[in-house]
Amino acid sequence: MRWVDIKEGFKEFLAEFKREKTGIAGVLLLVLLVLVALTAPYTTMPDLPEKWRSSAYWEDNPKNVPPNWYNMFTSHKLVPQRVYYVDDLKINHPSDTETIIEADYDFPKGYYKGPQGIIIRGLNVTLNAPSQAPTMDIYLLRPDGKRIPLLKNKPLTSSTTISIGRDSTVSTNVYIWLVNVTEGREITPFEVPLQTILISDMVAPMFAKVEPGMDVEKIIENPEPLWGTYKLVLDVKNPAPKYNQVDYSNMKVTFLGRVYGTMGTDYLGRDLWAGIIWGSRVSLTIGILVSVLSTIIGLVYGVTSAYLGGNTDELLMRINEIFASIPSLPILILIGATVGKVTLWFIVALLVIFGWMGIARIARSMALQIKEQTYIEAAKALGASNGRIIFKHILPQLLPYAFAVIALSVPGAVIAEASLSFLGIGDPSAVTWGQILNAAQAQSATTKGYWWWVLPPGLGIAVVGLTFVLIGTALDKILNPRLRRL
Amino acid sequence: MGYLKYLLFRIANAILVLLIVTFIISALFVKVAEESNRSKMYEELMQWERTEGAKIKQSQGLEAFEQAKAAKQKALEEKYELNIPYWQKVYRKAIRTLKLDFGTTSMPIFGTNDVAEIIKVAVPRSILLFTTATVIVIILGIYLGVRAARHAGSLFDRSLSIFALLTYSLPMWWTGMMFLLIFAYKLGWFPLSSMFDPQLTGWEHVKDVIKKLALPVFTYVFVVFGGWAWTTRNIMIGTLQEDFIMAARAKGVPERKIIYGHALRAAAPPIVTMIIFALLGSLGGAIISELVFNYPGMGRLYWVALQQNETNLLIGLTYFFTVLYLAGVVLADMVYGFLDPRVKVGASAKM
Repeated sequence: MRWVDIKEGFKEFLAEFKREKTGIAGVLLLVLLVLVALTAPYTTMPDLPEKWRSSAYWEDNPKNVPPNWYNMFTSHKLVPQRVYYVDDLKINHPSDTETIIEADYDFPKGYYKGPQGIIIRGLNVTLNAPSQAPTMDIYLLRPDGKRIPLLKNKPLTSSTTISIGRDSTVSTNVYIWLVNVTEGREITPFEVPLQTILISDMVAPMFAKVEPGMDVEKIIENPEPLWGTYKLVLDVKNPAPKYNQVDYSNMKVTFLGRVYGTMGTDYLGRDLWAGIIWGSRVSLTIGILVSVLSTIIGLVYGVTSAYLGGNTDELLMRINEIFASIPSLPILILIGATVGKVTLWFIVALLVIFGWMGIARIARSMALQIKEQTYIEAAKALGASNGRIIFKHILPQLLPYAFAVIALSVPGAVIAEASLSFLGIGDPSAVTWGQILNAAQAQSATTKGYWWWVLPPGLGIAVVGLTFVLIGTALDKILNPRLRRL
Repeated sequence: MGYLKYLLFRIANAILVLLIVTFIISALFVKVAEESNRSKMYEELMQWERTEGAKIKQSQGLEAFEQAKAAKQKALEEKYELNIPYWQKVYRKAIRTLKLDFGTTSMPIFGTNDVAEIIKVAVPRSILLFTTATVIVIILGIYLGVRAARHAGSLFDRSLSIFALLTYSLPMWWTGMMFLLIFAYKLGWFPLSSMFDPQLTGWEHVKDVIKKLALPVFTYVFVVFGGWAWTTRNIMIGTLQEDFIMAARAKGVPERKIIYGHALRAAAPPIVTMIIFALLGSLGGAIISELVFNYPGMGRLYWVALQQNETNLLIGLTYFFTVLYLAGVVLADMVYGFLDPRVKVGASAKM
């Protein structure tokens, strides 16, 4: 084959491909996917894979909440995330020893539930006299004039993080307050039912209607929203301002939303949108690498086997059959589960080892026909070596088919990789769609109805698969004219 | 006579492949088992040291204890087969597997320790789910595929093609998760778990099984039938352009007879091969889909065996999967010979 022929052939092929609408759609999708994958560090965050597994990094996010746009489709509107930095807070110093910080929170009318929790962090304390350490009182002023004491005399250090909604002391105080308002009696923390505190949502009652005579259990179970402006007050008492300093400049108060971001969050509060975007990188890389490598290996193997013929052919085909008869997914799972450290390259290698057989057999049967043609005989008569005939005269004939095979085997590779990481076998330092689904399955997201967690990763897999199927079938149609629509 | 010879050759070939694969599988699994067995042995030895060993130490002194410990260790090594060289163990395991003697599991599964018995419990369940679904898929797929081929280029053909391409790229287990979310969680039409209720008997049991099978069967059919229809369509379109179809049409053979009598008959070999592999493959279940639906079939059994380190069960299951595949290959060869005389003649001429 001369270079000019290849160029001509390619031009002709391009002209034909342009006429295939599905193929063009596939190419457009592919360009889009590649762009998304390449720009992932800029559109989300540059070091997501390292942060993905640290649950501490995601603490300021609400857990298991749907995306922001969910509000457009529901009558039960949910409040979004609100973050207050030092400039958004009102800080007063009534005296040397006291500082009052206020955060105004608007719970707009028509919304169904208040925030999932409140997180206060970033206080820097320089402690020189530990016996006179600064303390903090926290309370919430409600639009109906009631005041919920959340924490009293909480000692402050630099590492202090207060998370209302996850801290059981705060929940206990809320319960005591609820009983106090509804029944008018004062109970001790020991009388608070522990189970209620740990299992139920104790933040919603803070933002709900609470009147004397109401039933505490009913409020907790089915809180009725109380709209209006709330005020979270932090009263810091520093008895020794000369020795101990409290710095508020890094302070951050987060009212956790009931909805979050473009794709919601999972059980650790991780931003699923970022995970989905980053997952496309692994999926594309593995899908393309595996299909390209296994197609090349299969082609060379099949053509060599057909060309050499005789006993070598028999032997090579037996080896092929042996590989084909080993049940691949069970063995892949076994190898993945027993090998200690799994890297992406290891997964690629495994998928290639168990993925070249079918292509080899097709390539062999095609090469058997080509082998009998006269120009091969001519090449042989001219004294061309086996390698030259295989690589120069037979393989180029199969190349167009190879591209179709590559495109059509990408979805299988993508699904295989996702299946493995769904079972927990995958590179722990990468973010993949399979892993996100694995976490969803482990946390039984399907039986809890967390659709925003289950839907997007699979849709991603389907889109990557569809892209290559569209390209592959378009190629196939051009190369197999019999399949063309009549 | 040539056909029989050809068939015997193919069967001998399959048996040879099975032998080699069994050895490879045994080598792999014995390696995995050796490590877990070693840790199990040390655990048991420690246990012994704390109880009986301590007694001997108190009553008979340190020397007697060391002796007793060595004896115990030897006994344990024999019990866990750690005293035999690796390759010998692989050889033994492979031979035993080939004789269908799979051994026992350390923990009972489905109420029995015998691997063969466990597989016998699980296979009918996979048949119930996957073979049923496969039969539906085959009938639906071929019917729709033939229809699409007859009206190639029509709206029906186009939408079927698009549907097939869409479902081809869907992981079945993810589709299962989505269907669980929609039909079981949101709409409440189906149960969330497909584990059978063991207390029900008789008619109630049948009703329970049908209710729990409905969603997995539906998922399987939904994901797979498009691909079947599409492949059938492509094969049929190729056949319908052959000269003999044109000749039949020219003769005035009714269209129905051309499609089902002439074209489908000629297109049968690849379709029959697909049917054989699909039906045999369905006996093996599907690992991840069964996990998603919590269905106690062959696939989930493999996962359970892996989690509990039951090497004997793992080898038994893998051997079963391999035999199914090779049986499919032989059967396909056989049927090919029947349906396409060219294969028969060509193959026997080569020999």
